[in-house]
Amino acid sequence: MNATIARLSTQALIGRRRGLVLVLIPAVLLVLAVVVRLLTDDPAGYDAVTELAFTLALPLVALLAATAVLGPEVDDGSIVYLLSKPISRHRIAVSKFVVAWAATLLLGVLPLFVAGVVLDGSDLRRALAWGVGAAVAGTAYTALFLGLAAFTRHAVVVGLLFALLWEGVLSSVLDGIRWVSIGAWGREVAARISPSITGEDLGMGYAVVAAVLVTVGAVWFAGDRLRSFTLRGDE
Amino acid sequence: MSTLTIDRASRWYGNVVAVNGISMTVRPGVTGLLGPNGAGKTTLIALMSGFLAPSAGTVTLDGQPIWRHTDAYRLIGLVPERELSFGYLTGRQFVLANAELHGLADAGAAAERALEIVEMTEPAGRRIGTYSKGMRQRVKLASALVHDPAVLLLDEPFNGVDPRQRLHLMTLLRRMGAQGRTVLFSSHILEEVEQVARQIEVVVSGRHAASGDFGQIRRLMTDRPVQYVVTADDDRALAAALIAEPSVVAVSLRRGGGVDVSVADFGSFTVRLPQVARQHGIRVLELMPTDESLESVFSYLVGGQA
Amino acid sequence: MTDPALSDPALPDPALPDPSTATPAGGSVIHDLGYRPYTGPRLAPPAIARSLVVTGLRNAFGLGRSGRSKVLPFVLLAFNLMPALIIGGVMVFVGLDRLPIGYAQYASTTQVLLGIFVASQAPVLFSRDLRHGTIALYLARPLPAAAYAVSRWASLLGATLVFLLSPILLLYAVSLLGELDVTDQTRDAGIAIGLAVLLAMSLAGVAGVIASWSTRRGFAVVATIAVLLIGNGIVTAIQGISQEVGKPLVGEVAELFSPYSLYRGLMSMWTGFDAPTPPTGVVMQTAYVVVFVALAGGCLATLVHRYRTVASA
Repeated sequence: MNATIARLSTQALIGRRRGLVLVLIPAVLLVLAVVVRLLTDDPAGYDAVTELAFTLALPLVALLAATAVLGPEVDDGSIVYLLSKPISRHRIAVSKFVVAWAATLLLGVLPLFVAGVVLDGSDLRRALAWGVGAAVAGTAYTALFLGLAAFTRHAVVVGLLFALLWEGVLSSVLDGIRWVSIGAWGREVAARISPSITGEDLGMGYAVVAAVLVTVGAVWFAGDRLRSFTLRGDE
Repeated sequence: MSTLTIDRASRWYGNVVAVNGISMTVRPGVTGLLGPNGAGKTTLIALMSGFLAPSAGTVTLDGQPIWRHTDAYRLIGLVPERELSFGYLTGRQFVLANAELHGLADAGAAAERALEIVEMTEPAGRRIGTYSKGMRQRVKLASALVHDPAVLLLDEPFNGVDPRQRLHLMTLLRRMGAQGRTVLFSSHILEEVEQVARQIEVVVSGRHAASGDFGQIRRLMTDRPVQYVVTADDDRALAAALIAEPSVVAVSLRRGGGVDVSVADFGSFTVRLPQVARQHGIRVLELMPTDESLESVFSYLVGGQA
Repeated sequence: MTDPALSDPALPDPALPDPSTATPAGGSVIHDLGYRPYTGPRLAPPAIARSLVVTGLRNAFGLGRSGRSKVLPFVLLAFNLMPALIIGGVMVFVGLDRLPIGYAQYASTTQVLLGIFVASQAPVLFSRDLRHGTIALYLARPLPAAAYAVSRWASLLGATLVFLLSPILLLYAVSLLGELDVTDQTRDAGIAIGLAVLLAMSLAGVAGVIASWSTRRGFAVVATIAVLLIGNGIVTAIQGISQEVGKPLVGEVAELFSPYSLYRGLMSMWTGFDAPTPPTGVVMQTAYVVVFVALAGGCLATLVHRYRTVASA
């Protein structure tokens, strides 16, 4: 982990427009939580908001963060300034991952926890469960999208297809997908912490181990891909 | 004092050969890498800076291969061709970040020193997005000098830089070379290389076409005769006619047909050959240069195109 | 061995006629092969706009661009058509007497694919030129900036319509071949096409505005998806709650705030499929249609304004 790279990546992340949307998503979510709380005490409201936050807002924030720290630099070749230093490629990948991870935790996971508290202040355990589940899923999401960003220029669309199509639409149709769905793993962890959440019947061990494996593997892969970066002339 | 050694290095992408069996030694001092666009200069610099692995052959710095050897970057400073795009950082912040990434003990002082060398101390407080092209080149150079490297690689450093800044950069490079650093820069403009580099390496179509002092290369071209093979309907008569020409040095008849001609004055030979052939009623069927390397060096250095 | 006539070209050959007597004096001319500007008839701006629309439509599917840019739109289109093909196959083999999924309902089910398609192809039409500065080449032509913006929007609209209408037409053809009631099917298909046009107009508008605002492609895609799907999610949540609580009007009003929910609401009223808090009453339905069109119009106005600003900058 290198502090200078982390600082440079943070500066790239907070760039005007991207930073705006990155903050806007959790802001909108919290506003929604407040509005729903004012409208009703019905548990359906809680479920609706947390569903939205977990299946949509969390992956989108992770995708934005991961593609912001790696994508533009690789695209315009300025990553060569980071790579032509006596720093191992994996350290560079880890430093970038840490920055994207911090952004996801702050702007994807924390708002989810806060929304849970706003919607039902009495069941703190449930809000905490969602927070922990989101932390597990968010970490794996960030790592996966970072790996994608190091691999292809179309990382964003592929990430979207994964998060929305594979984990969203298809998983509601095919049961087996929950074994290879990051969202399902996070939900399973949340279910084990609070009984008010329905799990995916995977087992906490499997969910955590799978998330850790994906995280470590994807960050390692990103570092490996950085080694294959080549100088290109003005083309 | 470090030496970069390239030993029969080749690099290919599928069917396209970008670098074809090049051997050269880059010693302390300023070396110019000269060649037309697409000759493989950037690929060569990528090989030398550890961003590409050679498909064959070796590229070593003081005996150590550079590929996958990130410690080599302590000795190498790279100035890539791509535009500097950290527009939101100031010049000083950028050079400082580079110093920190090298793990220098006093990064701030090193950054200031580097900025002083390139004479950018005063504009360093402004954002890079506001710089002119020449200023960006100088900041790139400062970021490459910040760790006092023994080897400096510059990819087309004079591209798009205005004359005054170019003069300044040239003086800088000469000074670096005089300090004992190994400086290599690439260009496709003859005059730039002539004025700065002591040693020139000419690369054409991925091949190493010539190496050495520029004046000596030109002399070699005129001193060394160009070889042609001419096939005609009457070889012997053509040979007899050609040896009478002042531009021809030697003729010999080939066993399978055709005449090997050694020519000292390429220009007048090409004018005289058709005239001689018509005078003697000989039909020339084929005219082929056999000395490709000299042909390519010559046509590039004199004619401008490979 | 040697012909004396060939030995010196300066001497005229007595056997051949003198070529210089063939051309009359003053008949020689040297043609100007340098740059010559075009002085012929030129097409008017409507024709320019038309060709721009067609080119944009082709570019949205990667035609006229590199091979790799064709992969994504066609893959998404294939995914979109797959269920229709499967349904068609099932109908042919099993011989159902009605379509298992309504024409209009189809787009509601594949809304994620549609969203990704619009989000990923809008930058192709809007962000590319702004990012690389080639917009100057377009705006320095007789076509006004406003017409350029509308043409680009029309291209995206066309591409989205291709995406939306192809399954409808496929299902319609299958139902005709399966000899289902022609008037029923035509009426259903017609309503679906009308709804699809409304949806396509607003989606193209939203995606276009976001793509022209953020010139980085990846970021524009995520931002568009975020706006469309999160907006839709919020509206659905509020709808669900308002239904539970027993205040459907809140849900109906909330439905106005997302193109997908507007589509669902109108669809449920006009084709008889269920949706939470559909718009009841003519007033509400008219309001829905008006909002739909106004959304598209507002986005279009924003686009025109943006390109006018770029043109005068």
